[in-house]
Amino acid sequence: MASSRCTALPTQLATPPRRHLHGPSSSTTTTTATRSSSSSSSSLSWRRTLAHDNFVASAAVSSLLSVTSSSSSQGIIRCTTERTVATNLAPGTPVRPTSILVVGATGTLGRQIVRRALDEGYDVRCLVRPRPAPADFLRDWGATVVNADLSKPETIPATLVGIHTVIDCATGRPEEPIKTVDWEGKVALIQCAKAMGIQKYVFFSIHNCDRHPEVPLMEIKYCTEKFIQDAGLPYIIIRLCGFMQGLIGQYAVPILEDKAVWGTDAPTRIAYMDTQDIARLTFIGLRNEKINKKLLTFAGPRAWTTQEVITLCERLAGQDANVTTVPVSVLKLTRQLTRLFEWTSDVADRLAFSEVLTSDTVFSAPMTETYSLLGVDQKDIITLEKYLQDYFTNILKKLKDLKAQSKQSDFYI
Amino acid sequence: MFDEVWRKFSGLGQFSRTRIDESLDNVLIREVPMCEFTVPGAQNTRVLVVGATSRIGRIVVRKLMLRGYNVKALVRKADQDVIDMLPRSVEIVIGDVGESSTLNAAVEGCNKIIYCATARSTITGDLNRVDYQGVYNVSKAFQDYNNKLAQLRAGKSSKSKLLLAKFKSEESLNGWEVRQGTYFQDVIAAKYDGGMDAKFEFTETGNAVFSGYVFTRGGYVELSKKLSLPLGSTLDRYDGLLLSVGGNGRSFVLILEAGPTADTAESKTYFARMSTKVGFCRARIPFSSFRPVKPDDPPLDPFLVHTLTIRFEPRRQRPVEGPAGSKQDLRSFKLIIEYIKALPTGEETDFILVSCTGSGIEPNRREQVLKAKKAGEDSLRRSGLGYTIVRPGPLQEEPGGQRALIFDQGNRISQGISCADVADICVKALHDSTARNKSFDVCYEYMAEQGKELYELVAHLPDKANNYLTPALSVLEKNT
Repeated sequence: MASSRCTALPTQLATPPRRHLHGPSSSTTTTTATRSSSSSSSSLSWRRTLAHDNFVASAAVSSLLSVTSSSSSQGIIRCTTERTVATNLAPGTPVRPTSILVVGATGTLGRQIVRRALDEGYDVRCLVRPRPAPADFLRDWGATVVNADLSKPETIPATLVGIHTVIDCATGRPEEPIKTVDWEGKVALIQCAKAMGIQKYVFFSIHNCDRHPEVPLMEIKYCTEKFIQDAGLPYIIIRLCGFMQGLIGQYAVPILEDKAVWGTDAPTRIAYMDTQDIARLTFIGLRNEKINKKLLTFAGPRAWTTQEVITLCERLAGQDANVTTVPVSVLKLTRQLTRLFEWTSDVADRLAFSEVLTSDTVFSAPMTETYSLLGVDQKDIITLEKYLQDYFTNILKKLKDLKAQSKQSDFYI
Repeated sequence: MFDEVWRKFSGLGQFSRTRIDESLDNVLIREVPMCEFTVPGAQNTRVLVVGATSRIGRIVVRKLMLRGYNVKALVRKADQDVIDMLPRSVEIVIGDVGESSTLNAAVEGCNKIIYCATARSTITGDLNRVDYQGVYNVSKAFQDYNNKLAQLRAGKSSKSKLLLAKFKSEESLNGWEVRQGTYFQDVIAAKYDGGMDAKFEFTETGNAVFSGYVFTRGGYVELSKKLSLPLGSTLDRYDGLLLSVGGNGRSFVLILEAGPTADTAESKTYFARMSTKVGFCRARIPFSSFRPVKPDDPPLDPFLVHTLTIRFEPRRQRPVEGPAGSKQDLRSFKLIIEYIKALPTGEETDFILVSCTGSGIEPNRREQVLKAKKAGEDSLRRSGLGYTIVRPGPLQEEPGGQRALIFDQGNRISQGISCADVADICVKALHDSTARNKSFDVCYEYMAEQGKELYELVAHLPDKANNYLTPALSVLEKNT
């Protein structure tokens, strides 16, 4: 599988849609050829970790990772030297710094990134998977939508033509295998971005991903971070903790609808952050010349446990929640069970977060340094209390307006 | 049921991402109760963007879409690449600002207009067509549409001007009275003075001319009329006076008498200065610039105005710049009056025009460009629409919101500005009452040398819900 992808990629690169962005095709083929071998080996090695799935002494992972990074970096570094020369010599229109490509634009974070970018005057191109119901709202806002699929690397290069900055906020959907998008797709995208001289690559990762190699998504994010750092293109990696927007569907709506709220008794604390704030900070960071090849962590003002969030929602909604608390041990057990069956392995991967939940981790980071680096005032960052309060005020007001008019039951949404 | 439980259950393992179902989309995206971009009332506002494919226009359209406005885009040709450039749910109308017949469809249904079209070249024909005639045509089409709507409601458009006097025949001069007087009595000097004289007449060329001379020290002559407003209209619904006048460039004093019509002895007088220039011009005098003659009197209430007077006095006249050697006697004057109208009042701006400051244009064409832009601005000012004229410095293609902005009046700015910032100003000005009837220059702040700062910093880097426009514009002059 890996090798087929890698053969597909060079052919695309060697026959680019517009020649000026690329170097002479001869150098392209040679570099991609070397790279293809290295990347195939790296992805294979990664697959092996998953396949064994032995509950990972972290030392084993890190050694594996070091193999990964070193092998890929050799290939990439060679590619760097040739590439930069080629880009500089290549004639053609310079790429406008306002042209950006957003990968994962339909997601919770991606759409805020797109909106912010459009409002700040960027020309935004969104890489969106071809699907029967297209993401119309992106076009309504004025973004350009191009169809491509990260799991089909041959579709990637055309989308990068004329792009200055790539903002990558894609994460595979829960129902599909993590590996296709989050590892192989990303590797292809990064290699392609490198080959086509993309001038900045922004990658959203997960906080603490280096500490939880047992969770596949986090391990992939960490490996991708390493891969970007070694790829030799200018980058910013932003590690995130949790989105406030996610809490609406998980807790706020069920509480208002009097439905069961599922929570865990996990002691894990997460510093939720508003995606609009994340988007704002991202663009401030993007334009700051000093923040290149850096790893930033964005965290909300305060870390919350699940129980605290539910209590807060109950208070703001003015009604009690019907909470079903699932002990973390049950989640863990389910994971073990599902792993026994081949067809539920995806589910097992997803439940792997239960490993994180049992550890007494705090998903938060001190932000003072980041704020001063970006020149942002802490009081401009919205708190969870304020966010949820705004939500409930709006919803309850709307509810009042509607109650008189109809007997409809789904006003919460 | 099992599916639901399973979904919830497996969702517990997640913590950084959640599935967004369609209905939740509406809360978080479309209905946007909590989106920083929403503008109340945007859904009921339809904005026509003229020049929607220009550097500024493209961003204006996107910003309007993000805020939930209904957007109409005027383009000359609906080519595929033009359509691709605009957000999909923008209504595209085909038309040319140079062809007034094509604009009626464009302005239909619109509440506001943002004009960011500009001539493609600096050829005089192009400049006239887009920068001058285009603004005139669009504002005229918009006013026509407003009037049409008003007629359907069997009323008058709240955006149209009120005609107070139009001088197109002998008869139209009836009721105007020429008077003379002095501010003080100087018996001895009066003996040696040359006296004064003035007349108001309709000439053979079809002009109403008020002319004469005042040689007496402290003397003045004036032209006065009791206003008779059409039934149902009162001046309190109007903002000021618009006079179309010509002559030899003297300055005059406009005097309004206000008070209960039954008892003229109760009347109070208010004055404002009106400067004219050689040749024809339109003078805009807002009611707010009238000051009471007796300082203790209350400010002018336009509702009570019953008499209008135009006074000439030789004091404080400035020589008109002309060919050297031509002797001017500042005590003689000539004023051709075409019409006097009242300008409608309003809260918000109706028409936002992106003009230019002239810096950054190739020097040998700068004069022509500025002339056309200025003519366009003038035609907008006298249209009666609430206007905002934005004159940005040289445009730069970079993201907006990064640097503080300078708002200024008086052609003093030197820096550039990003297209996105100009677009942001346009969009913010739509509902900002401080933007109505103002013209201003805008550019990035620049670091002046110590002690040489010309400007105050009036804008800040935008943050959440930052409205920099209102404080910046509220200090600027109106009716400029």
